[in-house]
Amino acid sequence: MGLGGIGPGIGLGIGFSKAMEAIGRNPEASGTIFVPYILGLALTEAIGIYALVVSLIILFAS
Amino acid sequence: MVHVEIKAEELFAIGPLIVTNSMVGVLLASIVLLLAAWWFTRRSGIVPSRGQSLLELPIEFLAGVVRGTGGKRWRQFAPFVFAIFLYVLIANWLSLLPGVGTIGLAEEVDGEKIIVPFVRAGAADLNFTLGLALISFVAFVAFGLRANGLRGYLKELLIAEPAYMTPLLTPIHLISELSRVISLSMRLFGNVFAGEVLLATMLALTTATVFILPLAFVVPGIFLGLELLFGLVQALVFALLSMTYITLAIAEHRQHGSSDDHSGEAPEQGAAPAHGSA
Repeated sequence: MGLGGIGPGIGLGIGFSKAMEAIGRNPEASGTIFVPYILGLALTEAIGIYALVVSLIILFAS
Repeated sequence: MVHVEIKAEELFAIGPLIVTNSMVGVLLASIVLLLAAWWFTRRSGIVPSRGQSLLELPIEFLAGVVRGTGGKRWRQFAPFVFAIFLYVLIANWLSLLPGVGTIGLAEEVDGEKIIVPFVRAGAADLNFTLGLALISFVAFVAFGLRANGLRGYLKELLIAEPAYMTPLLTPIHLISELSRVISLSMRLFGNVFAGEVLLATMLALTTATVFILPLAFVVPGIFLGLELLFGLVQALVFALLSMTYITLAIAEHRQHGSSDDHSGEAPEQGAAPAHGSA
């Protein structure tokens, strides 16, 4: 779980910082940036969720 | 230590159908949704009243998002996206009500007393999220079939763009198509289930301090607020990802240079996630 959290953590940080940069450069585009941003975060976060589900299954269901 | 059950517990059985407490939660969500739909469409008008315009705000926001990303044919699948969004949202938020997951019958398992709750969060059971993901899968395959025809769809699915790459790319294509179901269902299940575990753990950690500091009233409240936000975000993500898959399925044949009415749709398509990214 800890190892599985590292990768998505880095990925989410990069994605978030790039989105904020983009909004800072072009504040009017924040509406168009929002949806791909949320989708990208969800896809990145899924990896962490996989790690969480696997660890919970090992912890409780075995 | 908190007791966590990964499966939904069985309550009773009607013939061969076993009713679990997650099913009760999902049925409650459906009932709330149906009652709300009946109540609010009963006296809605073209000129909205104050309450109606308040309720139309989130729908209008979602419609704007769907229109912006979905291309020319967004009206075809907008109701589907709204339905998924509202269903997941209500199922998530119902599970945060007091009494859900806490009121139940005490049972003795392995000499340990545990509570089997009457109602459990719907999405904290993989069956519910897997069912929703399968519905979404059927929807985007059906939209793809309707837009491209059987031949176009199979050609898109089985034959890669430079023909010599087909043996390499086709398995990847098929797996990525199927992994969408797994990733959709696992994401929702993992988030909601982890949220339940988080709330229970926070409550168990802070009840010990209740005689010194009233932390048990504050800390779980903060996390409850966080879970409200997560419930909204996960519902939005599920609906938006379904929408993106449908959009990809409809627009796929564009690359083959066929020239009918929607060849000019949605410049945002390039920003949508590519095939293998799910």
